[in-house]
Amino acid sequence: MRGLWRIREARTVAILLAEILFFTWYLWPDAGRAHPFLNGANGLLILKYSSVYGIAAVGAAMVIISGGVDLSPGAVIALAGVVAGKLFVEGGHSLGLSLAAGLSVGIIAGAVTAGLVVLVGLPPFIGTLGVMGIARGVAFIVTEGRFFDVSGLLPPGWKPMGIPVAWIAPAVMIALGVGFQVLMNGFQWGRSVYAVGGNETAALYSGIAVGRVKTSVYLLAGTLAAVAGVVLVVVQGQGKADLATGYELDIIASAVVGGASLSGGRGSVLGAVLGTLIFGVLRNALPQIPGATFYDRLIVGLVVIVIVVMDQLMARPSK
Amino acid sequence: MSRLEFHDVHKSFRAVKALRGVGFAIESGEAHAIVGENGAGKSTLLRILAGSIAPDQGGMSLDGARVRLHAPREALTRGIGVVHQETMAFPNLSVAANVFAGREIISRAGRLQERAMHEKTRELLARLHLHVSPDAPMDSLPAAHRQLVQVARALVFECRILALDEPTTSLTDAETEHLFAILEGLRARGLTLIYVSHRLPEVFRLCDRITVLRDGTHVSTLRRADVRPADVVRAMVGRDLPAREPGARPALEAPRLTVAGLTRRPGFERVSLALRPGEIVGLFGLVGSGRSELLETLVGLHAPDAGTMELDGRAVRFRSPGEAARAGIVLVPEDRQGQGLLFNLGLADNLALPSAIVRGVVAIDRGGEKRSGEEQIARWHIKASSVEATPDMLSGGNQQKVVLARWLATRPRVLLLDEPTKGVDVGAKYEIHGIVRAVAAEGAACLVVSSDLPEVLSLADRILVMREGRLQGEITAAAATEESVMHLATHASIEAA
Repeated sequence: MRGLWRIREARTVAILLAEILFFTWYLWPDAGRAHPFLNGANGLLILKYSSVYGIAAVGAAMVIISGGVDLSPGAVIALAGVVAGKLFVEGGHSLGLSLAAGLSVGIIAGAVTAGLVVLVGLPPFIGTLGVMGIARGVAFIVTEGRFFDVSGLLPPGWKPMGIPVAWIAPAVMIALGVGFQVLMNGFQWGRSVYAVGGNETAALYSGIAVGRVKTSVYLLAGTLAAVAGVVLVVVQGQGKADLATGYELDIIASAVVGGASLSGGRGSVLGAVLGTLIFGVLRNALPQIPGATFYDRLIVGLVVIVIVVMDQLMARPSK
Repeated sequence: MSRLEFHDVHKSFRAVKALRGVGFAIESGEAHAIVGENGAGKSTLLRILAGSIAPDQGGMSLDGARVRLHAPREALTRGIGVVHQETMAFPNLSVAANVFAGREIISRAGRLQERAMHEKTRELLARLHLHVSPDAPMDSLPAAHRQLVQVARALVFECRILALDEPTTSLTDAETEHLFAILEGLRARGLTLIYVSHRLPEVFRLCDRITVLRDGTHVSTLRRADVRPADVVRAMVGRDLPAREPGARPALEAPRLTVAGLTRRPGFERVSLALRPGEIVGLFGLVGSGRSELLETLVGLHAPDAGTMELDGRAVRFRSPGEAARAGIVLVPEDRQGQGLLFNLGLADNLALPSAIVRGVVAIDRGGEKRSGEEQIARWHIKASSVEATPDMLSGGNQQKVVLARWLATRPRVLLLDEPTKGVDVGAKYEIHGIVRAVAAEGAACLVVSSDLPEVLSLADRILVMREGRLQGEITAAAATEESVMHLATHASIEAA
């Protein structure tokens, strides 16, 4: 049990379970009525809405572990979403082609970020701040204020590869979370990301191709944000330019709650995904508490601080 | 009554017991040396003295009264000034701001009295015979001056006890002389000095008594008049050191690495040298003579302006240390904390990483790396609680052995070492020398950069001397003396005369 407790992801799971238990107890209904929080449909809803954050958080966690920070995922989500939406709804292109175009937007955004950070040498905060502005701006230019509802045009009962539409987003999030967790911990590429974030100079002296590692991280982060964007337009159908505004800070907060250190070298992809679920549960349960409507942002802010402080206390060596 | 006394001090960092019951007294007005190998607990003791860490057990008394320090500030206000090894300073601030950090002169309205601090700093620096402007940014100063600024800081706080941790590591001989003259002067005015060093000649010159620590315990406190350096060394390492073996001279094989006319301005110019398999070549020169930059250029960290490199007769050019390592040329860097180790990863990862890069590993074999890490820790006598420990839990000498071991695991054909025993104690130094000899005996060509002349003389088969970016000459080990090497390193060559 103590051994399990030392695994960072296990602690994040424990926090998530405690949170679920709390809301289950707090929102316990009167006799004979269905539980408003603890039911299958609500669980799926939480997963579905969290997965947009979760998919992008996979990339954000890797950027943070590599010693950087990414402010662009919210804007890239929106741009990928509206590009895919416009091609599909207005352009009449096939769904496959539209989604591929959305994804390539993310690859381009990632490549621009990588160029600014690795070649030009801008601090990641500044480079991604610029990309955030550009991506959001292009999204407004592309839409000219219009709205593209992809989900409305999908065939009813559509099941790509036998997966119901509602399950696509969570399935993509879980697959990417687990896949990149393995890549980060079992493969040399992932260890190089940790090394670059821990001490870039020592990583270079150790023979790691630092520039290539950072480039790959930003490319992946852009691509994953675009995946989140196309998932968002397919599942929720909202292809508009102000989509996912402010998500970048929630995504960074999720990665930090999941164990990432903004000074680099520490963190976990799976932890970041679990972190988005912690916030997903809060966003779902708080509005169900009468009178809590105006408090939810406040509570989300407090939760970030409490979890990180708790983690620092627990990470101290025991005598 | 003693000025300062340690009572049964214990301190552990996780599994590592840094201090295990250290107790001794320092008398008022004396110069007291604390010596010991790396990991003996000297720095930990100083950090407790400075109030930056608290002992787990035991404590200290000042003028007979027990004190417990909770922060470095409390030490300063009680008259204890500690000049740490990695000079803790604010490189972006001025000299005056560094001297007064935490004790700024402030008007009643809360405004900083810049002029008063400026004047006071000027006065203090003059007392230390240091001719720098109080407004100069700290990072524009050479290491020796930064150290003296820290001494000035201790004087601002009117310290009665001044402790220095390895103050001469990065100083030239002339700078060391200057520092010593100042320390003698301070002592004559009644200051109690605590001097932590590996360098026994300095200790014997400056100090009245010598406390020897070993493995976190107090071995003995000796009067200088009663002992010889060899006795102190024996007390430090707990055994007699082996006499140096002459070492087998390598056969005259074809050169493994040939460098011709290599130039990178302003670091070094027209450097030509050849390294043969099995040979240890020393590269001696004063700090700033371009040696580190030469090694960094050889492994592709910098692009040369001109010149060629051949490995086993084939022209090579590297764009990164990774490329160089794949070809068999590795650099063990000078700064183990900044360039050598990854403090966010465990020892198993640190030890395995360069060889994983060289072999082009894709999926990591954790079990295999753990076993090979344990094997390396045992083979090189690295003192660590486990392979999962992070490098910050290791002493400096053991960290250095990890940096060396991780590169040896790549089985290099050319081994470049930059100051391999800098800040390392006698015992670890001999161990590292033994490792380098063993690697050379297995056929690697070794180039050792060092500012430590006895080290170069005892380790190298032949010695290249560099001055102001140019090779000044070559001396065989048999013909080399301290004087002949030093002469080349400090004087213009004949052609220039």
